[in-house]
Amino acid sequence: MHTNRLIPRHAFAMSCALLLAAAFGAHADETCMSPFMPKLTGQEDYVYVWTLGVEGLGDGSDKLVTVGANPKSPDYGKVVSSTSVGGRHEAHHGGFTDDRRQLWLAGLDDGAIFVFDVAADPAKPKLVKTITSFEKDTELAGPHGFYALPGRMLVPGLSNAKDRDGRTGIAEYGNDGKFVRMSWMPKDAPYGYDARVQPRLNRMLTSSFTGWKNYMRPLGELMGDAEAMKNFGNAMVVWDFHARKPLQVLEVPGAPLEIRWALQPDHNYAFTASALTSKLWLVEAAKDGTFKATAVADIGDPSKTPLPVDISLSADDRFLFVATFMEGKVRVFDVSDPHHPKVVHEQVIGRQVNMVSQSWDGERVYFTSSLLANWDKTGEDNEQFIKGYRWDGKTLAPLFAIDFNAAKLGRPHHMHFGQKSFYANQVEAVPAT
Amino acid sequence: MIAALALAMAGLLSAGSAFAADGRDAAQGAAQHAAKDRPPLRHGDVSYTFGIGAFTPSYTLPAAGSYELPTIDTVADHAVVDSSGKETTLSKVIGNRLAVVSFIYGTCGEATGCPMSTAVLHRLDAKLAADPAIARDVALVTVSFDPARDTPERLAEMQKQRASGSSWQFVTARDEAALRPLLDDFGQSVSRLRYADGTWTGVYRHVLKVFLLDRDARVRNVYSVGFLHTDLVLNDLETLRLEKPR
Repeated sequence: MHTNRLIPRHAFAMSCALLLAAAFGAHADETCMSPFMPKLTGQEDYVYVWTLGVEGLGDGSDKLVTVGANPKSPDYGKVVSSTSVGGRHEAHHGGFTDDRRQLWLAGLDDGAIFVFDVAADPAKPKLVKTITSFEKDTELAGPHGFYALPGRMLVPGLSNAKDRDGRTGIAEYGNDGKFVRMSWMPKDAPYGYDARVQPRLNRMLTSSFTGWKNYMRPLGELMGDAEAMKNFGNAMVVWDFHARKPLQVLEVPGAPLEIRWALQPDHNYAFTASALTSKLWLVEAAKDGTFKATAVADIGDPSKTPLPVDISLSADDRFLFVATFMEGKVRVFDVSDPHHPKVVHEQVIGRQVNMVSQSWDGERVYFTSSLLANWDKTGEDNEQFIKGYRWDGKTLAPLFAIDFNAAKLGRPHHMHFGQKSFYANQVEAVPAT
Repeated sequence: MIAALALAMAGLLSAGSAFAADGRDAAQGAAQHAAKDRPPLRHGDVSYTFGIGAFTPSYTLPAAGSYELPTIDTVADHAVVDSSGKETTLSKVIGNRLAVVSFIYGTCGEATGCPMSTAVLHRLDAKLAADPAIARDVALVTVSFDPARDTPERLAEMQKQRASGSSWQFVTARDEAALRPLLDDFGQSVSRLRYADGTWTGVYRHVLKVFLLDRDARVRNVYSVGFLHTDLVLNDLETLRLEKPR
C-alpha cells in the first residue's frame, strides 16, 4: 500500500480542544445515494427521520418519524407516522437496500440494527427485523451507515467491540440480514466514518472520525481530556473496491467526514469536509490512477470552529451545501471549478444544525438539528427540528418546519426520502394536452 | 484496462411488492396492455435513474485469485422448465459447475435492463466458447420471469443465439406460483407496472441483477447496472476456479 504520510495521532489535539463538538453528518440526500440503488427523481412524498429518543420526552425511545413532504398532500409539513424501536440506542444513520424496499437504521451505542419495510406502506414503515449481533458478528462497534451494494449492505463502523477505541473496519451484511464479512481499516489509518464507491473507477473512499469512547462521552468532559482528544482520524483511504483492499492513505487532517463523489460522468473526484479544521477538501484521481487530497477552501473562519458536519452536492456538481453545527448555518459553495470553490450563499438555519439533504433535482433542501445526544447544545440552544426549504439557485426560502421538542419526538438526525408512486408501480396519469 | 463498456446508468428497477400474487396477470395483462386507448409509456414510467450519463468502467482488474468472494447467500433448488418444455430443476441445469444466473423477460425494451444483461452474457458466452477449459466449469443460465409470454418455444429462439458449442440454458417456471419462491430465494424482486385502473402495462419493473454461484449454490457475487461487465465476471469465475475446495 502506498502511504502518503503517516499522520501523528495527536496532530489535532490543540484544535480539538477548542471545538470538539466533532462532526457527524450523514449521507441521505438523494444525490449521494449508492450508485447501485435507484433514485427518486421526482417530488418526494415523505422524509423519514431517524430520531434519537430523549428521556422524559414522549415515550423516550428512538423512533423513525415519517414527515409529509409533498405540498399537494394534506399531511405536508406534518408528522405522518412515528414508530418507536424501544429504548435509546444513539440513533444515528441508516440506508436503503439496493431495491429500496427496506430501510436499515442503526444505533451507535449498542450497535443494534433496525430493519424497516418501507415498500408495503411508505406512509408508515414497519419494523420487520432487529439485528442485535453486530458486535459479535464483526468485532466492530458503532455501525455508522448503510450503503447499498448489489444484494448486500456495506456498513462502515466507528469503533471496535474490544476496546471501543477508534480502530474499526467495514462490515457487510446480506439483504437478508446475515453477516457476510468484515475488512479492517489499515493500521496506519485505523479510524472510520464514511465509505462511498465510484464503480466507474472501482474505487472506494473512506473517511475517519473517532471511537465509541469519545463519541459517547459528554462533550464538555471530552474536551477537557487532552489524551482523548488525540484520538481522532486524520486520513482518508483509497480502496480497490472489488478486492476490498486499501491502496493509498491520504493525509486529510481534522476528522474528514462525509464523502461526496461528483456525479457527472467525467468528474473523477470527490469532496469532503474536515470537521475539526473546517476545510473543504478535493480528493481527485490523477491520470496514473492515484489520488491526492487538497484543501481547496476554508469553511467559515476555522479559528472560530464552525464545525462543518454534513455536506450535500447537487446532481450537476455545481452546488455544495455545507452545514456547520456550531453556527447553525449552511453555506452554499459553487464548486463548478472544484479547485476554487466560492461561497455564493450563506444562511442561518437554527441555533444548531447538523444534516442537510437535497432532492435529486436540487430544488428542495431539508435540515435536521441533532449531532449526538451528548454533544447537542443545551438550554435554549437545544433546538430540535426538521426544516424544509426551496433552493432557487440563489437563496433558500422556508417551506415548513416541525419542532421535534414540542412534538415530544426527540432529536432528529438522519433523513431519507420516500415516494408513494415508486412503490405503487403505477403509471401516473398523463395530463391532458 | 477493461475495454470501455458504455452502460447507461438508467435501468429497470423493482420497487414495489415482489411478484404480485394476483393470478389474472400474465396473458391477460399482455393482451390488455396493447389496448389502443392507453397512453404510451414514457421513459420515466418504466426506468429509474441510478446515476448520470454512461457507465464506462475504467480500471485495471485485480488479479484473479488475489481477492475473496465471500458467501452472500445460499440458494435452494427450484423447479424450472427448460427450452424444450421439460420440467427440471435449477441445480440439474447447472450441474456440478460454477454458474452465472440472470433474470430477464424477453419483451423487455429497456436498453439498460434485460437486453444489457443478455448482451453481457452473450459476450461472456463467446469468451467461454473460446476457452473450453473454463467453459466446462461454467453454466450460464437465464431465467425468464415471464412464463406466459416466454414460452419454451421463445426460450428456444433465444437459446439459438448462443455461441457454437455453448451450454447456455434459457429456462422459466411452470407458472407464477412456481416462479415466486425462486425469485424470493435469489432476492430478485419483480413487479408489474400498472395503469391507474390496475391494468397491467405489459412491463415489469425489476432491479437488474446477475448472480455468481459456486458449486454449492452459494451466491458469491451479485452484479447490477453499475458493476456488470464481462471481464469482471470472467475474473470472478477464474477466482472461484482457483479456490481450494472448502
